[in-house]
Amino acid sequence: MIEITDLQRIYHMGTVEVRALDGVTLDIEKGEFVGIMGASGSGKTTLLHMVGLLDRPTSGRITIDGLDVLRLTDYEKTMFRLYKLGYVFQDYALVPDLTVMENVSLPAMLRKDRSEEQVKKDSSEILQRTGLYDRRDHLPRELSGGQQQRVSIARAMVNKPDILFADEPCANLDSENSRMVLDLFHEINEELKQTIIMVSHEDWHKDYFHRIVRLKDGKVTSDEKNLSAH
Amino acid sequence: MGKKELKVAFLLALRSLQRGSRSSTILTVLIIGMCFTNMIFLPSMFSGIGQGITKQLVDYETSNVLISPKAGDQYITDLDATLDLINGMPGVQRASPQYSKGATFKYRQRVLGVSVRAISPSDEKEVSPVYTKMVAGSYLGEGDTGEIIIGKPMAGDATVRQEDEFQASLGGVRVGDSITVEYGNGYTKDYRVKGIYYTGWSPVDNAAFVTRTDMEQVEGKALDKADYITVRAKPGYTEQFIKNELLAYGVGENGKVQTMTDLLSKSVGKVLQSFAIINMVSLIVSVIITTVVLFIVITIKTLSSRKQIGILKAIGVDKEVIMHNYGFQVMILGILGIILGIVITLVLAAYMMVHPIVTPEWSAYLYITPWDLVINSVILFCAAVVAGYVPAYQVSREDIQSAMRA
Repeated sequence: MIEITDLQRIYHMGTVEVRALDGVTLDIEKGEFVGIMGASGSGKTTLLHMVGLLDRPTSGRITIDGLDVLRLTDYEKTMFRLYKLGYVFQDYALVPDLTVMENVSLPAMLRKDRSEEQVKKDSSEILQRTGLYDRRDHLPRELSGGQQQRVSIARAMVNKPDILFADEPCANLDSENSRMVLDLFHEINEELKQTIIMVSHEDWHKDYFHRIVRLKDGKVTSDEKNLSAH
Repeated sequence: MGKKELKVAFLLALRSLQRGSRSSTILTVLIIGMCFTNMIFLPSMFSGIGQGITKQLVDYETSNVLISPKAGDQYITDLDATLDLINGMPGVQRASPQYSKGATFKYRQRVLGVSVRAISPSDEKEVSPVYTKMVAGSYLGEGDTGEIIIGKPMAGDATVRQEDEFQASLGGVRVGDSITVEYGNGYTKDYRVKGIYYTGWSPVDNAAFVTRTDMEQVEGKALDKADYITVRAKPGYTEQFIKNELLAYGVGENGKVQTMTDLLSKSVGKVLQSFAIINMVSLIVSVIITTVVLFIVITIKTLSSRKQIGILKAIGVDKEVIMHNYGFQVMILGILGIILGIVITLVLAAYMMVHPIVTPEWSAYLYITPWDLVINSVILFCAAVVAGYVPAYQVSREDIQSAMRA
């Protein structure tokens, strides 16, 4: 369970103070597929980065499964991200010089509790699940945008993280590929009971979310269950 | 930093070099290779010159041990007894005395001042390889009189006009020609040129040799003295051993005993010291160039990969892994560059062995020992690693947000 309490993030741009997050309080249950929505500049990505330990809030508190994650050292945060969290970025963020298989295996290779055989097995399984096993020896530039994003999802999922963060994963995709990606998230969430927190500004994406948190000017303006979700 | 982390860092490094910009990789390896060649070329050239000069000094001037007159004496006297003593000593191949006399050579219209060296040919053959350097005619025989051998530059070339000559000569003397020699004591004699030699060592090439028997005729008495005696050691005996033996046998009372190294430290030592300073400057410049180039290459690589570095950190790759990734890249580039440098250097060394740089005073080739290659490789490798790790360390410490926004 994720507990976010009175989270604030203030940027200073010269003499101007920008409140990217202004007292966000939120609880997210295990297995939820939460959509964070709002207009550009509303603080969606900032919130995702705070909870995903990619950035440090100005004030507030975040606990994940009871652990105050903001008190962790840099190295502990890195290990927490490796073992507990998965990320999917807007621009896929794959390592261009690694093949699909190498990209997907990379986080698993660093885990001390995984043997080489286990890494291979897990990577192959997740690539089969995302329909890219046949493309495992290709480089990212040899794939379409949709395929690259599915590789990115496979990489995020290979360590079987507790929480999956997705920052506008469909922003660079056409509607067909977007639907494919969202279907994949839905499948992962349904089958693996995976907690997914996804940022989006596309209104039609809300059909996939169990819960929709809307932000405006760094504040939560609405937080409601989506009973009509897939 | 565990084995797994190092493995991932190495994989990232290898793939970046394999699948990244080939031209950048090739260019970097080429620059390192050239820097390595530059580091080793000049010092090896100087070493080659030093070795060449040393060899020529040993072959044509001092041999392994030189016995010269004691301070205040003009000659080594009681020569026959001294030679018998030395030649009977363990470790001595042969001792050869030389006695020089200034003379004026006349051939047709040419006149030339020359130092005539009187030798015992059979002894001299065991001490100096001049007899192997005959370009025309033959070497002196024991007891030859009225016959002389001269250096090629002294003999000259009949096709070159006197005013065009680089150095004064007799204008084209050939074997069998007769030349008139006027010695400093007024004795004049006609010699038949028995042979012409060329050693590449100027002092010998500008001298002439006659037998001691002949010189006794010039002096008008038995020649029981010498300007100096050169002593060749048998294989396996050090020059220091010979020197110690000579001193132990009392030869030191009749002359000054010096090893070739003793002499070198006085004469060539200062030249070699100057070479060492130039070598050091060359080495430092090459190391600085390599360090700067690699620093720039890795800085550009890291700056253009900042976003990727941010992503890697975001997905749980530790900053140490990222740093070692660039460290491994620079190590691989360094090793490839050093291998290329060694190949270039060895090719140059082989070429210069066949085509040495020849001057009237010395000839130079590249003198490279395996130790030179190892030392220079280690220095360059260390410089490369430092140059690579500094920017990698800096960029790996950048916070994720700043890196991802790049």
